Amino acid sequence: MSFTSITAKLNEEFRKRVFIFIGIMILCFLVLAIQVFRLQIVFGNEYKLKAKLNMEDYVPIISSRGEMYDRNFSLASEDNKVIASNRPSFNLTLVRAKYEDDAELEKCLFNLSQIIDINYSSVFNDIKTKNKWEHYVVMEDVPFEKIVNIASHQHLYPHIKWEDVPVRVYNYSEMFSHVVGYIGSINKDEYNDLKDKGYKYYHKLGKYGLEKQYDTLLRGIDGNVRRIVDVKNRTEGEEVGKDPVAGNNLVLTIDYNIQKAAHEALQGYVGTVVVMKASTGEIVSLASNPGFNPNVIIGKENENIFLELQNNKDKPFLNRAIQTRYPPASTFKLVTAIAALEEAKWNPNILNYCPGYYTLKGYIDTLKQCYKSTAHGTINMFQAIGESCNVYFYNVGYKIGPTPIMKYAEYFGLNEKTGVDLPGEVTGFVPSQKWKRRVFGQSWYDGDTVNLAIGQGFIAVTPIEMASFLTGIVNNGVIYKPYLIKEIRSQDNVQILQEHKREKIKEIPLSSVTLDTVKTGMRLSVTSGTSARLNYLKVPIAGKTGTAQTRSARKDESAQHAWFIGFAPFTEIENDKYVVAVLIERGVAGAATAVPVAEKVFQSMITAGYFNE
Amino acid sequence: MNKNSNMTKFDIKLLIVIIIVISFGILTIYSAGFDPVDKLNNGMYKRQIMWFVIGFFLMIGISFLDYKVIGAFAPHIYLINLFILILTTFFAPIIRGSRAWIDFGLFSIQPSEFMKLSTVILLAKYIELRDRDLHNFRELFIPAIIILFPILFIILQSDFGTAMIFIPILFALLFVGGADISHIVSILSIAFFSLTVPLTLLYFEDIGTAGLVSDFFNQGMAVFAVAGFFLFIAVTFYMLHLFFVNKVFRYIYMPSFVFSLSFIFSPVVKRLLQGYQKNRILAFLNPDKYPHDLGYNVIQSKIAIGSGGFFGKGILKGTQTQLGFLPETTSDFIFSVICEEWGFIGAFLLLILLFVIVYRSMKTALVAGDKFGSLLATGITCIYFFHILINVGITIGIIPVTGIPLVFVSYGGSNMMMSMIGLGFLLSIQSKKSTF
Repeated sequence: MSFTSITAKLNEEFRKRVFIFIGIMILCFLVLAIQVFRLQIVFGNEYKLKAKLNMEDYVPIISSRGEMYDRNFSLASEDNKVIASNRPSFNLTLVRAKYEDDAELEKCLFNLSQIIDINYSSVFNDIKTKNKWEHYVVMEDVPFEKIVNIASHQHLYPHIKWEDVPVRVYNYSEMFSHVVGYIGSINKDEYNDLKDKGYKYYHKLGKYGLEKQYDTLLRGIDGNVRRIVDVKNRTEGEEVGKDPVAGNNLVLTIDYNIQKAAHEALQGYVGTVVVMKASTGEIVSLASNPGFNPNVIIGKENENIFLELQNNKDKPFLNRAIQTRYPPASTFKLVTAIAALEEAKWNPNILNYCPGYYTLKGYIDTLKQCYKSTAHGTINMFQAIGESCNVYFYNVGYKIGPTPIMKYAEYFGLNEKTGVDLPGEVTGFVPSQKWKRRVFGQSWYDGDTVNLAIGQGFIAVTPIEMASFLTGIVNNGVIYKPYLIKEIRSQDNVQILQEHKREKIKEIPLSSVTLDTVKTGMRLSVTSGTSARLNYLKVPIAGKTGTAQTRSARKDESAQHAWFIGFAPFTEIENDKYVVAVLIERGVAGAATAVPVAEKVFQSMITAGYFNE
Repeated sequence: MNKNSNMTKFDIKLLIVIIIVISFGILTIYSAGFDPVDKLNNGMYKRQIMWFVIGFFLMIGISFLDYKVIGAFAPHIYLINLFILILTTFFAPIIRGSRAWIDFGLFSIQPSEFMKLSTVILLAKYIELRDRDLHNFRELFIPAIIILFPILFIILQSDFGTAMIFIPILFALLFVGGADISHIVSILSIAFFSLTVPLTLLYFEDIGTAGLVSDFFNQGMAVFAVAGFFLFIAVTFYMLHLFFVNKVFRYIYMPSFVFSLSFIFSPVVKRLLQGYQKNRILAFLNPDKYPHDLGYNVIQSKIAIGSGGFFGKGILKGTQTQLGFLPETTSDFIFSVICEEWGFIGAFLLLILLFVIVYRSMKTALVAGDKFGSLLATGITCIYFFHILINVGITIGIIPVTGIPLVFVSYGGSNMMMSMIGLGFLLSIQSKKSTF
C-alpha cells in the first residue's frame, strides 16, 4: 500500500466522519427546534396563562364588617351605643425574597423576637415552607408603640413592613356576648362548606350569635386590586380593580340600658333574662350569665382561653335564654288555668280548699306539699294564681285531665322553637301519653297529670319560650316572632335598607273570661302574692313566680331553679306592654331570687321611660 | 497561492451570519437590560458592542495569521493558559460565587473561556501527530489528560458548566479525528451507565419510590460481585483474543468490560454526587418539586419560552424578561428572552442561523490545508456546537441547569473574544487551503 493511498483512505474516512458529525448536529438542532415548537406552539396557551399569573398581582381588599348598635340608635345622635365595631390594627409582614440570605432573615426575626412575642425559629421554619415572594404575616395585631419602635430602628428589622388590618371590637365585652357572638378565622370544614358562597380561606367568619346569623349581611363584598408587578413586587403601569362594598350595619332591638341592668342584676347568678315587647316580638334585652369576653377569644393566639371557657362547669358559651330547657314550674299554672277555662268550662270563681297538702286519691305515698306549707284556705282561681297554690291546680289538673293542658302548651309553642334570629335555639318539651308509653313503657298516671298541672315532671321549656307564651296572653292570644334586628342600615347609616316588620306566628282564640282571669291572677301575685316585692314600683306589674324542682332538689334546696315571668303595664288600654322572663339556676325560689332580678329590670325600664305615656 | 486571493477565500457568508447573530444578541441584551419600572437601561448592551468591536479586530488579525504557527506553539499556548487558569483558581477574587475572573478594573477576563480554545488547539495538534495510531486504545489517554487539567481547575473555580463542556468536545474531536468507534462507544457506554444508573436511583429515592434496585446498589458487596463476574469474563476473553485473533472475542470482552466498570462506577458516582450538583440534577428531573428553589430557573425559562407563542410579545414587551421573573436574561437564559419576545419565528430563525454557523464552520474542516487545520476547525465547531446545544437545551428543559453562555449571543467579553478568535482561526484555515 502506497503512502498516498493510505492518506487518501484516511482522508476519505475523515470526510465520512465529518458528514456523520454534521448529521448528528442536524439531529440535535432538530430536537431543539421540536422542543421549542412544543413549548411555544403546542403548550403556548398554557404557558401564556402561567406568565400572566406570574405578573398579575391580585390583592383582595377585604370589606369592612358592619357595625352593630343598640335600639336607641339615631343618625343625628353622637352618643350611639356601638356594640360591635372595628378598630385599626397592624400586622407585621415580610417577603423572604427581599433578604440577602437566610442568615439575614434569621437575624431580623431574632431581633423582632426581642420586642414582640414570637418564637423566631418556628416562624423562620414556617416562612421557609412558603413561596419566597409571599407576604408573610409574622404577627397579627401588633401594638402601635411596637410599630413605632420597629419603624425607628429599621436597620435592626430590615424589610419588615406593617399593614393596616381592621380588628373586630366588642365594646361592651360580656354584656352582649350571647347576643352578638363573635367572629373567628374560617376553619377547613367551614371553608369547604362555604367556598362556593364566596368565602375565602383568609376571611373571618361569624361563629356565634348575631355575627353568625347575619354574617352575609355584615361581611360585605370584597374588592380587589389588580396590578402588573415585577418579580420584586414593584408595580408597573396602572392599578385596576374594584372597591370593596362594606358590610351593612345592624340596629338591634336590644336596649343598652335594659341589657346593662339585666346583665348587672344577673351577676352572682347563673341565669338569664329575656325582655320582649309584646306587640311586636322585639327583644329589648337578652342576657345570660355567665358570659365571655368576645374580644379575648377572637385572636388566634387565645386558643387556651377559648378552651378554658369551653370546659368551665358553668358553660359560659351557653345562651341560657334559648339553649337550655327548665321545668317551668308554677309559671306553667297559667297554661293549666287557660286550658281549664277554655276547654273544661272551668269557672274561675270555683272555690277549692287548700289544707296545705294534697293527697292523690288511690295513691298512698303521694302526699304533696303546697307552695306554702301553711294552708291557703278556701280560694278561687284568681287567688290560686296570685298565691301560687299548688293544691288548687292539682285539683284542676286532676279534674280536667292531661290532654287539654298538653294541647294548650302546644298551642303556645312550648314544644317548638320561637324562631328568634339567633343560631342554636332549642325547643321546649311537652310530654304526651304516647310519648310516655314509648319511652318508659308506662301509661300516663294521674300523678303525672297533677305534676304537669303545676309545671313539674316531664315538661321543660326555654326561657324565651316562656316569654313568648306570655306575650300571647298580653296580646290576647296573638304571638309575634321574637327578633333582635330592628333595622339594617347602609355602611354610612344614612339609608335604612330594611326595617323589621312584626311577624305574627300564632293566634290562639282565648275568651275574655280566660284572659281576665289569668291577667288578674298575675296582678294579684304582685299586689298581694308571691311577687309582692314589685308592688312598690311606679308601673302596675302583673307576674308569676315559679320554683322548679330538679331531680336533686329534694335533698338540696339550692338546686331549685327560680322563675319569674311578668308584664307591665297592667292596664286595660291598648299600649306598648313589655314582658320580662327571668330564670335563675339553683335560685332557691322564684320569689327569693328571680323577682329581685326582675325588679331591677323593671326599674331600669321605668328609668328609661318605657312606661311613660 | 497569492495573498490577494486570501480575502476572496474567506467564507463571507459565515462572517455575515455571525454578525447577524451577534446583532440579534446585542438587541436582546438591550431589551433584557431595560427596567420597565424605573424606565432605565443598565447599559450592558453598550459593553457587548465594545466586546464585539474588540473581538472583530482580533478576528481580523488572527485570520491573517498562519494557523500552522499556532499549531507549532500548541503546547506552549496550552501550558501558559493553564498556568493563568491555575493562578486564577487560587488567587482571583470571588465574583458571582466563583474564582473565574481576573479583574482588570474596567473589565475582567475569564481564562477558562480561552482554555477551551487552547485545549482544542493542543488536542488537534496531538491527534494530527498520532493520526495513524489513534485507533489504539492507549492513544486516548493523553487526550484524556489534556482535558483533565482544565476540568479539574475549572471545577475548583465552582464553574461546573464550563468544566463539563470539555468532555463532549474531546469525544467529538476523537470521533472526527479517526479514533476507533468501538472505543468511543465503550467509554460513552461506561459513562452513560455510571451516570444514568445512580441518577435514576437518586430520582426515585427523591420522589420516594426507590425499591429493591436501590437497595441492591446501596449494598457494595452485591454490586462488586456482579462487576467482578463481568470483569472475569472480560479478562478471560481478552486473553483468548490475544492467542486466537478473532473478532467474536472482541464483541464479548468489550461489553463485559463496559458492564463491569459501569457496575463499579455507579455506586461511586452516586456517592460522589452530593449536595449542590445532586440537587440540581434532581431539580432538572423533577422541577415541579422545587418550584421556588432549584427548579425555579427552568420553570421560569419554560414559561418565558412557551408564553412567547408564535409571534412573540415584541421587543421590550416580554413580561417574564422585563418584570424579572426570568433569571440571567443576558447570559444563561438569553435564548428564553429571544423566544419570549420574538416568538417561534424568531427562535426558529435563530436556530437556523446558529446551525448555519456550525455547518459552515464544520465545512472548513474539509477545505483545510492539513490535518491540523481540519481538526482545529472541527474543534472550534465543537466549541460552538456544544455551547449552543447545552445552553439552548437548558433553557428548554432537556438538559440540567448549569451556567453556560450561548456563543455570539450571550453577554460576556471573554466568551465573545474566544468565539471571535475561533472565527479568526476558521478564516485563516479557509484562506490557507490546499489539497491533501
